[in-house]
Order: sequence, then C-alpha cells, then structure tokens
Amino acid sequence: MHMLHIKNGIVIDPKNKISKEKMDIFVKNGKIVSEDEIKKDECKVIDATNKLVVAGGVDMHAHIAGSKINTGRTMRPEEMRVVRTIANKFRATVGRVLLTSPAIGYEYIKMGYTSAFEAAQPPIGALHTHEELDSIPMVDKAALPVFGNWHFVLKFVQENNLEKLKTFIAWALERTKGFGVKVVNPGGVEAWMYGGNVKNLDDQVPSFNVTPREIILSLIKATEELNLNHSVHIHCNNLGIPGNYQTTIETIKLAKGFENDKRQVLHVTHVQFNAYAGDSWRNVSSGVEEIAKTVNAMDNVTIDVGQPIFGHATAMTGDAPFQFTLHKLLGAKWSNKDSEVEGGAGIVPLVYLPKNPVHALQWAIGLELGLLVDSNKVVVTTDYPNGGPFTEYPYIMTMLMSKKMREAELQKVSPYVQKASSLPSIDTEKTLDEIVHMTRSLPARILGLPNKGHLGIGADADIAIYNFNPLEVDPSNDFEIIYRSLKSAMYTIKDGKILAKDGEIVQEHWGKTYWVDATGKVDLESISNEIEEYFGYYSVEVRNYGVEEEWIKRPERIVI
Amino acid sequence: MLILKPKIDFTVTVEAEITPELATKEIREIENLKIYYGNNVVKLNDLFEIKKEGDDKRLILDGDFSRVKWIGYGMTDGEIIIKGNVGTHCGSNMKGGRIVIEGDADDWLGAEMKGGEIIVKGNAANLVGCAYYGNLVGMTNGKIFIEGNAGSYIGEKMNGGEIEIKGNAGDFIGTEMKGGSITIHGSCGFVGGDMKGGEIKIKGEFELVPTFKLTEDGWVGDVNVKGEGKIKKF
Repeated sequence: MHMLHIKNGIVIDPKNKISKEKMDIFVKNGKIVSEDEIKKDECKVIDATNKLVVAGGVDMHAHIAGSKINTGRTMRPEEMRVVRTIANKFRATVGRVLLTSPAIGYEYIKMGYTSAFEAAQPPIGALHTHEELDSIPMVDKAALPVFGNWHFVLKFVQENNLEKLKTFIAWALERTKGFGVKVVNPGGVEAWMYGGNVKNLDDQVPSFNVTPREIILSLIKATEELNLNHSVHIHCNNLGIPGNYQTTIETIKLAKGFENDKRQVLHVTHVQFNAYAGDSWRNVSSGVEEIAKTVNAMDNVTIDVGQPIFGHATAMTGDAPFQFTLHKLLGAKWSNKDSEVEGGAGIVPLVYLPKNPVHALQWAIGLELGLLVDSNKVVVTTDYPNGGPFTEYPYIMTMLMSKKMREAELQKVSPYVQKASSLPSIDTEKTLDEIVHMTRSLPARILGLPNKGHLGIGADADIAIYNFNPLEVDPSNDFEIIYRSLKSAMYTIKDGKILAKDGEIVQEHWGKTYWVDATGKVDLESISNEIEEYFGYYSVEVRNYGVEEEWIKRPERIVI
Repeated sequence: MLILKPKIDFTVTVEAEITPELATKEIREIENLKIYYGNNVVKLNDLFEIKKEGDDKRLILDGDFSRVKWIGYGMTDGEIIIKGNVGTHCGSNMKGGRIVIEGDADDWLGAEMKGGEIIVKGNAANLVGCAYYGNLVGMTNGKIFIEGNAGSYIGEKMNGGEIEIKGNAGDFIGTEMKGGSITIHGSCGFVGGDMKGGEIKIKGEFELVPTFKLTEDGWVGDVNVKGEGKIKKF
C-alpha cells in the first residue's frame, strides 16, 4: 500500500475554502484521505514546512495530440533542433515550442500541472489523437472532438431534430472516445470547403439551411439535456479579425436562458483572439472591457485567456479559413488540413515580437482578460501552441499578481499598447488564492471533474508543492521568486506518486484518458439508418470508424 | 599548428566540431576531445594521429576527411587547411577565419555562414550557404569560392555575403534569396525562384522561371513575391 504524509505545508485549496492554512495532507492509494485512514509508521513523509501546497494544475485547453500538432512538427523541423534532455533514464525530449509527446508530459509535471486536455480532436483523426495521447506520459488527459461543422450536426440542426442531435453526440463521443463538445467557428469551416467563411451569427452556412446561431444554440441544448460533464466549448466565429469582440459578446449572450447548477453552460475559449475592436489592423484596439462586462454579468459562462507569450509560437486551429487569412497576413508557411465533412484545420508558424504593435496589443489583451474578468470565470491558458508554450503559465500567473512586474514588462513593448488597451491603467492584482483557483479548481469545475483541482478528502492525489512561503512572500513585490518557484515545482505528486522533485523528473507514470459515455441516455438505433447511409459514401467503413476502448492505455470511462 | 591524420578508413561517419581554436589547447586536452564515431563517443586520438607544432590557430587535416562532418562549425578565426575531401556541414555557422579545401566538399558547405572565407579547390556538392530546413535565413556574410562545379540549392535564403563558382552549378540557385551575391562562371539550371533581393550573375546558360521582368539592368523579380532580386548575364 502506498501512503504519503505531506507535513506542515501552507495549503491553498479554493474549492474547500482553505486559504494559506498550515496543515497536513494524507495520501493513500492515489487518493487524498483523512488522517485516521493511514498508518503513520508506514508512510513516506514529505516535509513541506512553510512551502505552498496546492492541487496539481489542470490545463483545460491545449493542442497536445493529433494531426494538427503533428503536422506542425513535420512542417517546422527547426523546432526539433532544440534538445531539452537527452535519452537517459527517461525518454529524450526535444522541441522549442512544439514539443514531442514525452516532452509535453515531462514539462507539465515539472511545472506542477497534472492534467491536460487536447482541445480540438478531428473526429476522423480520433485514433491518431488517442495514439498520441497515449505517448504523453505523466499527466491525465482527454480530447474534445470538434462538432461545429460536422455534416450530421448541420443536418440535424437543419431538421430541428434535437433528439437525433443528442443521439449523434452520444454516438460520436463514444466512437471518438471524446470528452465533450468542442465547436470551432461554427458554419465557417463548412463554408471554407467552398472557399468562404461566415461573418456573423446569422449568416447562412452554404448547402445547409442553418446559421452559426442555430448551431450553437442546438449544441448547447443537446449538451445540457445530455448533461455532459463539460459544457459546449466554443472557439467563436471571426477569430483574429479586428472588430470581432462584438461577435464574441453576441455568442456569449446565447447562453442566456440556460441553467446548470454545477457548472457553466458555455465555455468560450482563447478569448484574447476574439477580443479586438477597431476595423483594421491599423486601428485595432482592445475590446476586453465590453467582453468582461458581459461575462461578469452572466453566471453561466466561463472563458479562458489564450495569452500570447513573446517569442516563437505556432498557430494551429480547427478554424481553417482563419489560418488562411493569417498565412496571407504573415507570408509564413501554411498547411491546410481537411478532415472530410467533419471540419478542417490550418497551421501557420509565427513569432510574437514585443515591438510589433499588434503582437504587443494581443499580449495586453490577454492580460486584461485575466485581470478584468471575475477570477471565478477565467482560466489561464496560452492556447498552446497558438499563444506560445504552456511552460510560460507561471509568467502569466505572476503578471496577473504583480502590477510592478507588469509595469516593467510594459516598458519593453510597443507604445501602441498605451493608447489601444487599458492594461497600463489597471491596478488590479489577483491574489495567490485567485491564481490557484484560475489554474486548478476553476478548470476542474468547468470540465466537470469533481476529483480534480482540489485537496479535499476523496480527491485524486494530484499535488504540487512550490518552494516558497505564501505567508511571507508578497506576490506583488517578490514576483521573481514566485515566477522561479512556479516554473519548477519542488514536488509534483500524481496519483500519489512523486513524479518530479525540484523541477527534475524522478519517475515515469502513465495517466488516465477520460472519455464520456452518454450512450445510455439515447437510443442509438434512431440514427443508425442515417449513419449507415452516410458511411456508404465515406472514406472509411462505419465499422472501422473510431476508437475501441481496449486500444487506449488507461481509459477512464465516465458513464452519465 | 595542429596536424590531424586519420588512422583508419572510416566505415561510418565521424562528427567532429573541430575549429582552429583547438590548436591552442594542451596536447592532452586535444587527444581527449570527445567526438562521435557513428553513435559511439570516442576520443580524438582514437581516430586520428595528432601532431602539435606551436600554438598558432591553424589546423592541417591531412588525408581523406570525406566522412568527417561539422569541421570548422562556428569557427571565429584562424585557418583550416584540408588536404583532401571533406564531409558535410563544413564551415557551417562559421563567423570568421578561413577554410581551404584542396579536394571536394560535401553538402551544406558554409550553411548559415556569418563571416570568414571558404575556398574549395575541387567541387562542392548541394546546399552551399543555405539555411537549414525550416530556418528563415541562410548565409548572411563572408565568402565562399568554389573552383570546380557545385550541386543544386546554392545560396537558398541567403541574405548577404558572396558565393562564386568557377564551374557549373545545378538547379535552384538563390531560391528565396534576400541579399548578397552569387556568381557562376559556367552554366546552371533554374535560378531565382521566390527571390526577394540580392544579385545573381551567370556567364553561361541558365533557365529562368517566367516570373522575372526583363529590364535594362537584367531580369528583376520574383514578381510572385514582389521581389527585387536581380539576375544578370556577364
């Protein structure tokens, strides 16, 4: 039996309303337990005296597996020249921003993150995605298949047949071993199949008598009636286009009228790319204030940031038309991925430069979102690798906590930020508790994973210990200490095992792959004719479509 | 001065990032320098006879070095004289000094070179002065002079410096070139695709993509990428 006693740590656990309390944590068989359940003489004791003890981080939106990141790796050989570690006791890791699979697992763990979600799984690429997720060691993971432009979704929305849409979602999640409903530029990627895009929520999608508004509303309705763990996870229309903040606000308002007492009903992702005011790149400015006002006024919407980090990045989204626009804008290389009639994707390498006015503004917008939106509604992400490496989460966390650090960083960026965003005038400093919430308990709640993101009895024993005393270190002045400490955890414990110590990996471990099985709530027979008929024309047979559970290394089925 | 002679015929490639700087080190240190022979780490004196004569920054490589890669990688000053053929990546990322190759050079000669001079008495293979795959800029400064012929992909993405070839060259000369100059005294294949700047001068025959405009000052293009590169006959 495996037992741990984490002694005298200063615990921050927002979900259980514990703020900087000195207490002990006990672990048995990969779960957090109460003191009387363990035998102290058999325990391994970890001395965490005056160190910060929090739950392991949860990255709810990153592109870590599947055809997009893999194509990114293929088209960017220069990324693979950065050697992180050579093969020794563990696997070799390479990559500057586009890391190899083992590097992704190791880097998350070194930073104290223990779960990561692949945010856009092309359904026909499900097997590839799961093979690749299975190559990522250490962390727990899951994948969100993209639904917003899938032939069946458009068809059932057009027919206004909610029952069939629900059935299809349950069928699709089971086949792709997916976790929830991701929507990317609803209708826009379908229009891209004809070389176009949609411009607002009421544009008609070519070949279907539907609009993005109808797609989003129907998917929210279906997801809520199925009561999936995670809500609809949307990448809005008009991403990366000046003036798009209004589309974002309209999209957020679509959640009005839906209710769920456990979680939000709509998660809007990487909002930074959807928060531009103005009408061209010459007069673009921040639209965060309006967005923040809208989000703060609603209690059923959450967002994540998609913060750009200065330096190399690679734009890769399921939003194929946007990627083409970006390629034309930057003149950088471009790969277009077409996943048949399910969706599409594009990949474009880019570099964020501090002196470039637009890049500096994007950077400021990300931070504005983190500061102006209620910390119970905004999650820290970089939309890895679109905004930059996830390894810089500590940078974002520290920046949100320290006005002084922001002032120093503002000196280094283009002065355009001063007039186009309100960042220089924002005095808010998030507390360490809020930051812990925004990176742990909040994403866990948004994803609907009750055992993640907190340290209460029964939670998964995913724990990070950082080498500073939150009672003494002041985040607003000692930001350097905080940044350094958050970058490399003193201990990262996953499923009760010590995986990293002082920022070094000590043992390899394979995390679980979550998937949601909602097939019990629907009658799969009701759409079998449609599916049979459709697969008569498809590039694979229906029996060869999808992923079987036994092919996955450590599947964790969540039956709802 | 340091003289190196291979002890054996190499059956696999050797990776040895040796520069003239090595000649200033103690003989013990030189002998124990770690290099790769295939995937094995070996010492320099396992593979080469080493003779040290004084401390001046000169390397004489005497023998067949055609399977030895990365010679002169990133060197900043001094001189390397290779009395035979040399392997791939010779003078890659070089910043200063001089390399004289009395035989032939293999691929990636002077790739991403930033300064200094390379003289090849024989022929050079492909990818002279190029950018490594994925990188945006190739050679930026310095000079590469080839007395014989050269292969394909010469000066891809180069942004400065000079390449001169006395003989013929292959296809794709100065692709995506941004600056600097390439002179070819013989003939060559396709020239200047996606060229943005710089100058290519050719004495013999060559093939031009149709996206160049003929002006009084030679051909200008590639208009596909709004380039202002120049291609001239001389």
